[in-house]
This record gives sequence, structure tokens and C-alpha cells, in this order.
Amino acid sequence: MTVIHPILALVPFVLLLFSRRVKAAVCYMIAYAAAYSMISFVMPATSGIISILIGATAGIIYRMMPSLITGYFVVNTTKVSEFNAAMEHMHVSTKITIPMSVMFRFFPTIKEESSAIKDAMHMRGISSLRNPMEMLEYRLVPLLMSVVKIGEELSISALTRGLSVDIKRTNICKIGFHFPDLVCFLLCIVCWICFVLHMGGIV
Amino acid sequence: MIQIENVTFTYNNSEEKGNLKNINLSINQGEVVLLCGESGCGKTTLTRLINGLIPWYYEGELTGSVKVADKEIREQPLHTLSQQIGSVFQNPRSQFFNVDTTSEIAFSCENQGLPETEIQRRIRQTVSLFHIGNLMDRNIFHLSGGEKQKIACASVSAGEPEIYVLDEPSSNLDVTAIDDLRDIISCWKAAGKTVIVAEHRLYYLMELADRIIHMRHGEICHEWTSEAFLKMSQAEVEKFGLRPASLKQICGIHRFGAHSSGSYKVRHLAFAYKGEKQSLNIPNLSLPHSAAAAVIGKNGAGKSTLLRCLCGLEKKCSSEVETDNKTYPLRKWAKKCYLVMQDVNHQLFTESVLDEVVLGTDSTDMEKAENILNQLDLLPFKERHPMSLSGGQKQRVAIAGAIFSGKDILLFDEPTSGLDFRHMEQVAGLMQQLKRQGKTLLIVTHDPEFILKTCDNIIHIDNGSLTEQYSLDRAGIAKLLDFFELR
Repeated sequence: MTVIHPILALVPFVLLLFSRRVKAAVCYMIAYAAAYSMISFVMPATSGIISILIGATAGIIYRMMPSLITGYFVVNTTKVSEFNAAMEHMHVSTKITIPMSVMFRFFPTIKEESSAIKDAMHMRGISSLRNPMEMLEYRLVPLLMSVVKIGEELSISALTRGLSVDIKRTNICKIGFHFPDLVCFLLCIVCWICFVLHMGGIV
Repeated sequence: MIQIENVTFTYNNSEEKGNLKNINLSINQGEVVLLCGESGCGKTTLTRLINGLIPWYYEGELTGSVKVADKEIREQPLHTLSQQIGSVFQNPRSQFFNVDTTSEIAFSCENQGLPETEIQRRIRQTVSLFHIGNLMDRNIFHLSGGEKQKIACASVSAGEPEIYVLDEPSSNLDVTAIDDLRDIISCWKAAGKTVIVAEHRLYYLMELADRIIHMRHGEICHEWTSEAFLKMSQAEVEKFGLRPASLKQICGIHRFGAHSSGSYKVRHLAFAYKGEKQSLNIPNLSLPHSAAAAVIGKNGAGKSTLLRCLCGLEKKCSSEVETDNKTYPLRKWAKKCYLVMQDVNHQLFTESVLDEVVLGTDSTDMEKAENILNQLDLLPFKERHPMSLSGGQKQRVAIAGAIFSGKDILLFDEPTSGLDFRHMEQVAGLMQQLKRQGKTLLIVTHDPEFILKTCDNIIHIDNGSLTEQYSLDRAGIAKLLDFFELR
């Protein structure tokens, strides 16, 4: 079991390297390695509240980080139309894929809006951390307002360009299942089988 | 091509402006029709009737008939209509579905279910028609507003509709981008397409428009050819509440302001964005007290960056400011500056207008706050939620906050983008009022009329450095009009 987790954690690292996002890949690996060594070496040597604190923080990074980074990889390296094409090949309904594909463009939108709001708060002198709850409200309310507005304008624009769930779309993306996909797929399947066997107490 | 007969429309949401009364309009194939009128006059509603968003997206009570190519709009679903009618909207940031430009241009073709080879052909054709080869395969989030709007037009154009409907497409664009937009519309016109544009800015469409339709309170009240329209004087055009259509009409605007004593002298301003060598380098800049200076320049010249530096949002900017024979480091001086952003929605945080004004200050002098609200005609709204106000009112709330904070230098980023004549006048009046109160104003704008109405000085920035600074006397006006290519 202690082998499977790091192997799976290496998958997004390798994917990031192959898509030339070296900085992100290295940062991720350092964070993961730090969390891993905290749990395996430092935590057993401590006790009480310190042990719990280390376990909680390192545990979150150790468990969540690989999936978060895989998500980051998907959103950053997949074009919206590639995603749509892939989902279509898998015969997923457009009722599911259209809302999901909008998410791709909403992450950068939220980032943009959020940084504009941060500047405005700085301007008004309300960015101090003295009152975190108020701070959160100031941050979130305008953000939600503008994201909702952008969402509405986006759907109008998409509708007038003929997006609809009732029609058959075509796609100009050339995607397919190739050798690297097979490698990733098999690796994950093998790990998953080992995991199930381990849970069943066989290995 | 388009027949609108006896149409009356009321939005279900009663607060929504722009209801229509008794509209009769027929538009022939190949015509370019310009719809103008004040905000809320119903011109946007009329465009929505034509592109089918009414009744398919906006709900309301619709009587009469709207036919496109002899077929009733309400009997065809939106995705069928979209093959004949393409729409471009106001906000370039919210119109794209994809993250990369090439897929975005393919988007409407893909929705029509066209074969891949045909889509590729249309992309190539659109790219060469609009000269946007340099924008292909780029991340749309990294493009400027004008470039985004070009991509939006290209995406619609690739679907090859017969009719184009544009709703205030130039609102967020600068002079060069507006020129490009004009070229795109003339391409469509040359191809025999029908184009309907609802706009505040009229000058760029004068050569193209076959008919100019003026609306008021939801009715069509005048119709001109562009020749007849250009013959009108400045006063006549303003009487209709419209923006000037030509240089002749723009020129009569400027009101010379009083000359002020003293100035803020900004020295050795240097700033670089991460990974760039030098984004902004201005050795000397002078801002006269209690006067307004306009910052002009092309997109990406560093205008907004200059504002961000001066008000302390870019921490790495180094500079010093001399005033009244004293020199302050920029960091200290920046505390006297307040930036009113282009999108005021980002700048409103609280639940009532009064709270909004006093937010972020230690002072609780409500009387002073109410005084300021009174000056800006906002007192009746003091208990309202800022987000429930109109765009212009929101902007005034943001300005009220700036005045209450007691800051001396107010910076504005595009305060008049997308405003009609009356609201632009209102903002211009407000600026004059701020000057009289002793505030120093620095305004980034692409609006020559607004500059002539409010500003005393011009700061022309190009490529991160100061090209020229001049005052707006007779020679200065000539230079300004040259810059806007209005001569």
C-alpha cells in the first residue's frame, strides 16, 4: 500500500513534465515529498497535539494534492472543444458536458474578477485581516455578482451562436486513444486492482 | 429581409427598461441600419426581437409579428435562427465559450453540425478576411478587449449568417479597435449581408449606415439617411440626446477651464511587470492642482498601469512626487490617490449606499456623508443596496466614497465607456464639480468628446513612456483630434 500511493502521485508529476509545466511539477513534487516525509518520519517521533497538527496538515497535502494537481493538469492542458469531443466519443449526454465545459472558462474568469476585487478592497482600505468574516464577505459578494452576470451574458452569446442540447454538434479536434493514454490507463488500473486486493486482505 | 409589424413588447420583469410600443420597421437585404437613442429607449430590445432572444430567452408580453426571411421568429427555435442571424454583444469578456481562439471561431460552425473540412475552410477564410492570423491558437484571456471583440465577430462570421445584429459593440473599445470594427462591418456590407447596429458612438458608422433610426421611450421617432444626419448641427444632434457624428459636430464642444496654481510633479517613475524589462518609464510628469488631465494612448501603451502605479496598487513602482517645494516618495503620496475603476461592480461592498460611502474610513460623520450624497443626487437612495442601482448611480456611489475618504487626487479608468450622451454629460458635469472642490483628476479615456468637455491637460503615452504632455488650448485641440484621427 505504501508503494501504490507514491506511484499514483507520480502520475500528475510526469504529466506536468511532459506538458512542459516544469515549475508546477517541481513545486508539487517538493510539497508532496515534504508531506510524505513528515508523515513517515517526523510524526512517529512526536506525540500529542503536535503529532495531530502535523498529521492533519501533512495529511491534507498528502491525500488531496495529487488529485488537485491532476485537476489542474486537466483544466490547463485541455481545450474546451477537446473536452467536448472526448465526452462525445464516450457518449456522455450534452446535458452534462455543456455545463462541465463552461467550468473550464470559469476558473480563469474567477481569477480575473477576484484580483480586480482585491485591488478595489486595497483602494478602500478594507483589506486588513482584522475582521476575517467581513473580509470574506467583501471578497465574495461582488465576486458572485459579477460571475453571475458574466454567466448570463455567456449563455446568451452561446445560444445565439446555436448551442443547444437538441442538436448534433461536430468537432474540429483530432483526439484519440493513443499509446501514452494506454500506459496511464493500465498503470492506474493495476494500482486500483492492487488497492482492492489489499482492502480484501489478499495482498 | 426583416419585417416588424405592429410590435408591442413588455418585459415580465417590470423594472426592466426598454419596453417597445408600436414598432413598424422593414429592413431590406444588404442594408446597414443604425439604431440610436438614450439608454433604456428600447434599441437593445429591438435587437433582441430580431435575433430571437425575445421570446426565446427574455420573457414578456409580445404582440405583432416579427418575420425574418418571411418566417415568423417565434415559430423557429433559437438554434435554427442562429444559422441566419449572428449576434455580437457589448461586453467582450463574457462572449466566448472556449478558452482558445481557434476553437472559438469554430464554435458556431460546430453547433451547426458542419463537416470538419468545411469548418477548417471557413476558419481560414474568416482569418484572412479579418487579418487575425496573429491571434490564432491564443488564450482568449490574454487578449485585449479589442482583440476579443474581433474574435467574437469572427466567430459569428464563420457561421455565415445573412443578418448580423450588434448591440453596442464599441462600448469597451479604443480608437484603433473601433477602426477595426468598422472594417469588419464594411466587409459584411460588401458581402451583401444585412447589418443592424445599436450604438451610442455614431461617428464610426457614418460612411456605412444606409439608415439611422432614432428611438425614444420605446418608439421609433425619427429616421435619417447618413447624409441628412451629417448636415445637422451640434446643437440639433444634442437636442436628440445623441453623440456627435462627425468632427464638425465634435469641434464646438470645448470649454476652457481656469488655470490653476501649483502642480504635482511626478519624477523618475519606473515600473516593470514580472518578466518584462520595463513596462513604464516616465522621467517627468506634471499634474496641475484642481485640474483634469486626460491620459490617452493606444491599447497596451501603459495607461492603466500608470494609474495603478500612482495609486499604489503596483508596489514595485518607484518614483517621487514634488509639490509645494516638498518631495514625497510615491508610496506616501499614493495615500492621497483614489482609483475609480472601470467596472464599478468590483468596487461596491456593503448593503446600503450610506455604509458604502463611509466604508474603510474611521470617521462616522454621517452628516458629511449625507452632504456628499446630496451633491451627487444620491440622497434619496441612501438606504438602497448599491447593487440595485443603475450603472451611472453605482459610479456616483464609488465617487462619493472617494470624496468622503478625503483623498485629493482622483484617478478614473474609462468613466464614460458605454454611456449615452446624457449620461456622459452628467459625468462631465460631475468632473467639473470635483475640480471646483479642489480635486485633481487624472482620467484614462478613449472618448474625445468627454476629453473636450472636461480636461485641461493631455498626457499622451506610447509604449510605456511619455510621448508628450500638452495643455488643451487651440493647438492642443488640433493635436488631440489628430490623435483620434478625426481630421
